[in-house]
Amino acid sequence: MSDLSIMVGQERDGSVSVLRLEGDIDASTHKSLEEKASEVIVGGAENILLDLSGVKYMGSAGFRSIHAISNMLESGGAQGLGKSSHLKLLNPTEEVSRVIKTLGFDVYLDIYTDRNEAVSSF
Amino acid sequence: MKPDNGYEFRADASLENLQEVRAFIDRAGEKLGVDKGALADLRLAVDEAVTNIVQHGYRGRGGPIEVDMRAEGKDVHVRIRDRALSFSSENVRAPQLNTEFAERPFGGMGVFLIEKMTDEHEYRALPGGGNELLLVRKGAAKPR
Repeated sequence: MSDLSIMVGQERDGSVSVLRLEGDIDASTHKSLEEKASEVIVGGAENILLDLSGVKYMGSAGFRSIHAISNMLESGGAQGLGKSSHLKLLNPTEEVSRVIKTLGFDVYLDIYTDRNEAVSSF
Repeated sequence: MKPDNGYEFRADASLENLQEVRAFIDRAGEKLGVDKGALADLRLAVDEAVTNIVQHGYRGRGGPIEVDMRAEGKDVHVRIRDRALSFSSENVRAPQLNTEFAERPFGGMGVFLIEKMTDEHEYRALPGGGNELLLVRKGAAKPR
């Protein structure tokens, strides 16, 4: 059974929600990521940083969920053709980075290796 | 497990078993001396293929799946067999990567990744029912 744990933290006086993910994001666990993000957004979050440093595996289901989260955050205003200003990624592994690039998600989402820099960028 | 250059894994096709399938690919890949990067790619391709079998082949009702991984010379071959109704990836629309992000349709990423993560992939319907998908990474196995 795949395992995915999600811890939610707040930065910058609550203006940035950091979701730290640990485990695998596949077709059996991706819904829990969407549900947690939705919960946080309904609770008032406008900016989310996904900390992927603990993600050992992510398949297309995980990317569909990231796409869905981006759309949830952008629903208040059009994102247009630029990068999302409300959803960013932190520290994907080399393996996950490869898939990010293959699917072109790096064109739409900023990816950071430094947490402070990521949080400040919102 | 088979002796010599092939390993086999059998399971029920369910989302709960996806991690077991990936773990099998990792174990068999290590035994076959598969290059780390190629193994990660194969793991992804196999996971996507098995997920499709679970969700579209067996439509969530379960069924047998066999995964066979072996070295053919320096190439790695993974065969995934099921007994579901015939599936054709020709019917799957490719993801529209150049579309504005919010408008992108959700589907098609799995099959797209299978194509990108392998050097060759070949589908055939099995005589007597079921399907077989062959995934190949060339030059990825340790030569014997």
